This record gives sequence, structure tokens and C-alpha cells, in this order.
Amino acid sequence: MIHDFGIVWGERALLLSGLVNTAILSALSAVAALLLGFIVTPALMSKRPAVSGAARLFVDGMRCVPFLLFAYIVYYGFPSFGIRLDNWTSGLAALTIYNAAYMAEILRGAWAVQPREPIEAGIAFGFSDIRLFRRIILPPLLLSAGPVIGNQMIQIIKDSAFLSIIALPELTHAASSIQSRHYVPFAAFITAVFLYWGLCLIIEAGVGSIGRVAEARR
Amino acid sequence: MAETSKVLDVAGVSKRFGDIEVLSDVSFQVDKGETICVLGPSGSGKSTLLRCINWLERPDAGQIYLNGERIGINNAGIVMGDRELSKIRTRIGMVFQHFALWPHLTVLQNLMEAPVQVQKRPKAEVYDEALALLAKVGLSDKRDAFPAKLSGGQKQRVGIARALAMRPDLLLFDEPTSALDPELVGEVLVVMRDLAREGMTMVIVTHEMAFARDAATRVLFLDRGRAVETGSPDRFFSNPETERARQFLQRYAGDTANNKR
Amino acid sequence: MSGGDIAAIFQGAIVTVTLSFIGILIGLPIGLGLALLRWANVPFAAKVVTLYVSILRATPLVTLLLLLFFALPNIGVPINPISAAILALVMNTSAFNCEVWRSALMNFPKDQYEAAQSVGMTAEQRFRRIVLPQIVRVSLPGLVNEMSLLIKVTPVLAVVGVVDITRAAVRIGAQTYEPLPPFLVAVALYAPIVFALVSLQRWIERRQVAAEAAA
Repeated sequence: MIHDFGIVWGERALLLSGLVNTAILSALSAVAALLLGFIVTPALMSKRPAVSGAARLFVDGMRCVPFLLFAYIVYYGFPSFGIRLDNWTSGLAALTIYNAAYMAEILRGAWAVQPREPIEAGIAFGFSDIRLFRRIILPPLLLSAGPVIGNQMIQIIKDSAFLSIIALPELTHAASSIQSRHYVPFAAFITAVFLYWGLCLIIEAGVGSIGRVAEARR
Repeated sequence: MAETSKVLDVAGVSKRFGDIEVLSDVSFQVDKGETICVLGPSGSGKSTLLRCINWLERPDAGQIYLNGERIGINNAGIVMGDRELSKIRTRIGMVFQHFALWPHLTVLQNLMEAPVQVQKRPKAEVYDEALALLAKVGLSDKRDAFPAKLSGGQKQRVGIARALAMRPDLLLFDEPTSALDPELVGEVLVVMRDLAREGMTMVIVTHEMAFARDAATRVLFLDRGRAVETGSPDRFFSNPETERARQFLQRYAGDTANNKR
Repeated sequence: MSGGDIAAIFQGAIVTVTLSFIGILIGLPIGLGLALLRWANVPFAAKVVTLYVSILRATPLVTLLLLLFFALPNIGVPINPISAAILALVMNTSAFNCEVWRSALMNFPKDQYEAAQSVGMTAEQRFRRIVLPQIVRVSLPGLVNEMSLLIKVTPVLAVVGVVDITRAAVRIGAQTYEPLPPFLVAVALYAPIVFALVSLQRWIERRQVAAEAAA
């Protein structure tokens, strides 16, 4: 058994690049999904039924489709329309679009419980448009949504493991390669599990510190 | 129409929400240094009137002038965009019933936010002024606290200091003490009374009859969306002209006696 | 795509959904048991549970599945794909259910528990008659949500060859150069099930909000 872990250690470069790829993939799509969420959320709350209906259809649609199938559809589906995507681009696109729906719903929920008066005070004090959003609306919104966004980021990391199936060289894919090359399944996969755990602990620590900042500013 | 001493001129303002006419043809003027208390039963349109003045609520009819300048409609006769409105709003300070402090900013940051970000005044100057304002409302020691850590009375005093930091031509108060525990009302009224004495131009919607009686230069009585009566507080409280005002004062007589400050 | 292909996909969906229901049925009480160990702060066990939940919450189901399927035989425990799948689902969902149960337990009003104590109920009676009925109600939306999440990850069971959705898709794609239809068929099978669960969760939440407003 110790010997198996020695083999995994020997392949540490492969494992590390998998870990880095998982981290990059998750971070990029988390940011992109959050930004996309900021576009979808106002649409969800639009007074025009066509707009809010379309946004609702997107969000509920994503919630009902298994991510693995969605990733396959993006990977195999886009070429049918003549758009060639490599596995990185399609993986990133699938993770982003899928999780944008969740981010939009999270932001809508946080928005719904925000008190109106401080925002009105912002308007009364001469804030408008982008500045109102950036200085008055956004900070408390992000603070209150922080923990849930953190949970969603953990979900994104876990979803990214599915992308090993479209041969994206992320952490699970790296562990699979090591296992098939040397037949050390336990050592390879348990190492991957602990590396995923490490990533999530980092996010949880981040969420914890945001939580403390938010607590003072409630 | 722009007399130099006239800070606010409200002319024939009406507002309806659906079928309900909240304000109908309300007119009044405020001279520089005046403290106007707007009184009236709940639902008489007092808060709506205040919110129409800085166009948080868009009036359906009538005109509002700040120092002779029309609010809400520009020279071309069209409704102002957000940016144009924002510029005028910076000259009208507002104090909210539920304080409406920005929760993510400290007390000092609350005071400095709009002067620095909106008015683009130099940070150092705003900082000094903000400290002076905090001293004035007796909260120098709370400058780095977040609003969540303050009592209601302290929050409202920050709210007033935040409005003053804009160096406004006019201050609007929307029931500034009605969300406070009774024992905290006094500390806020003290600050407001000082401002009145110093000659700040203010329009105050309130249910504090004792305060209106001794701090207001004039009282405006609103009933069912109409400006029924206006005059000096002495005359209004001792000898109101209208039957509606008399009934209103009778209902409040008990309260006023209990809340003598 | 032939009728046989659709049947294969259909059968695959049925198998995975069935497996996830089995996983939930087993994982639900295990989650409750784990939550109780943490809630009661049982020495050592509570710490182990905390660690277990923390790791499992961070582990992707694919990775867990691969670990169980390949590694258990490796250390001398023979396991077939179906058992590996059920074990992975149970491990995954019990960790999440534990969190849902625990938050309900944490928010349980203490005075009610003390009231039950004061009328002389035994610990077992207190739990079964006072605590359990109420935390079930509080936890219900969270548990249904967890159920829909679990069903959504089950297509991954195809990885260890439990079912045939993806293999059918890839084979059909290779034959017809049209890989999309099989996946769309699979989506059409899964989406209604998940949608039903999501709707159920919203319905329960609305009913509880309405009941609270009426109270």
C-alpha cells in the first residue's frame, strides 16, 4: 500500500497539473457564472413577462438537466451547428452556463431580502445607475449571498470532475490516468479525494472570513 | 418666481396611486431658515409629499422648485434623467424613518460616501467636515462602528449627520423618530432642535406635537391629501381654523401631554 | 437512432433513478443517525462524523465512484458495479442529509425539549414523539432538494458500466454522426423527474410559509 502511494508520488507532476486545471477551471467558471448571473437576475425579476419567462425557463431548465448530460450536449452538440469547441472551451462553457442559472437564483434570493431603504437613501443622496449599483447595492448583496455563493463554488468544483469524461485533463482525469497506467486505484483516487477536500477547505475558509465581515455589517 | 429667500416652492402637486388620490393640489413655500413641520393623521399623504419633493416619487401634476430651479422637469420641458435628478438631489438632504444607513460602511464612511463619490469633493476636506459633524451629533467615539452596532437613536443621529455632510440647501425628515423606542426619541429631537436654531431650512414630517409646537416656525396640516391649514404653531395648536385640525389635535392631546419633553 | 437505442437509454434512466431512490432510502436514516451523533456531541464519534461530512461534501461523485469500484477489489473486497453505485450514492447523500438534519436539530426550540423532560418523558420518547415529527417537517424541503440533486448526478453511474446511456450515445454518434439525439432523449427522461421534485420542494415551502402566516 505504501508502495502504491510511492507510485502516485512519482506521478505528482501529472496530479498537480490536474489539480491546477481543476482550480483554474472552477475559478474561471465561478467568476463567469457569477457575472452571467448578474445579467440573468434582473431578467428574472423583469416586469415584462416575456423576459422574466425566458429567464425563468433557462434557470429552471438548468436545474432540471443533469450536468453530465448538459456537458455532453455542449461538447457533442455544438459541432452539429458547425461550432467546433475543444474540450477546454466546451467544458468551461458548460460549467459556466449551467452554474449561471444557480448563481442567478442565489442573487435573486439575496436581492429579495435586501432592505429597500438604504438603496432609496442612495438615490436620495444623488447616486444613480452604475455608481448606485456598485457602491450601494452590490456590497451588501454580495456579503449576504457570500456563504451560498461559496457553497455553489464547491458544487462547481465537484461538477468539474464530470468533465474528465470529455477527456479534460483535470484532477479526476489525472487520477484515472495514474490508476490505469500503474493499477494503483486506491492510492490514486484517495489522493484525488483529499486534494478536492483541500480545495473545498480553502473555499470554506474564505466563506468563513466573508461571514465574519458580513456579521459586523448586518 | 425665484425669490432669493425662497428655498422651496411646491405648487399644486398631486399624486395618485391607482385609484387613490394621495396628494391633491398641495402648495406651500419654505423660506430660508424656516422649520416647517408637516402634521396630519396617518395616511394623509405626508410622507408621499416629502418623497415627491426630491422626486423619489414622481408627482402626477404640479411643480416643485428648489431655489428657483425646477425639479424633475428640465428646461426643455421633458422629464429629467437619473443623472440630472441626482445632481439636484445632492442639494436636498433626507433623513429616513428607518435610518436607511448603508450597512456595509462604517459611521464615518456613511458620512463621506456621497460627498466623495457623488459630489466629488476632496476627501481630506470631507473627512474633516464629517468628524466635525459626528462631534456635533455626539457620536465621535462611534466613527469606526458599523451601523448594526448602534442603537436606534444613534443610528438616526448618524442619519442626520450623513444628510448634513452633503451641505444641503434643504433637509427633509420623514418621521425621524417614529421607529425609535420612546426613551431614545429625545436625543434625536435635541439634534433637530439645534439645527432649527442654527437656521437650517427643514421640512419635517412628524407626530411629535410638542416638538412641532416649540421648534417649528410654521406648521402645515395635511388631511386626506390636501393642505388644509398652514400657520404659526402657536395659532395652529391653540386655535386651529378648521374642524379637521381640531379633531386631529384632540386625538393627539393625550399623547402630547404624556410626551412633554 | 433505433427504437432499441431509445429503449436502452430509457432502461438506463430507469435503473439510475431507481438506484438513486434506493440510495436516498438508505442514506436518509444514516444521515439522521450521523446528525444525532454530532448533535448529542458523542465523544470521538462526533468528530469522526464531522470529518466524514466535510470530506464527502467535497468529493465529486465520479471520483468517489471510481475509488469504490476500482479500489475495493484492490484491497480484497469484491464489488459489482451496482453495489459500488449504491454505496457511492449512500455515502454522498448521507453526508448531505446529515447537514440538513443537523441544522433542523440545532434550530429546535430548547424549551420544548425541556417541557417534554418536565412531564417525565424518557429520552427515547422525547425524541420520537416531540423532536422527530417537527424536524421532519422542517427538513423536508432540504431533503427533497437533496433528492433532486442526487438524481441529477446519477447519469455518472454510466462510468462504471451500470447503465448504457452514454455508451449508446457514443455508439449511435459513431454510426450516424449525430451524437446529440441520444443525449436529448436522456434529458427528456431525467428533466421531468427532477422538475417534479423541484416543484414538490417549492410546494412544500409555500405551504409551510402559508401555515406559518396563518398561525
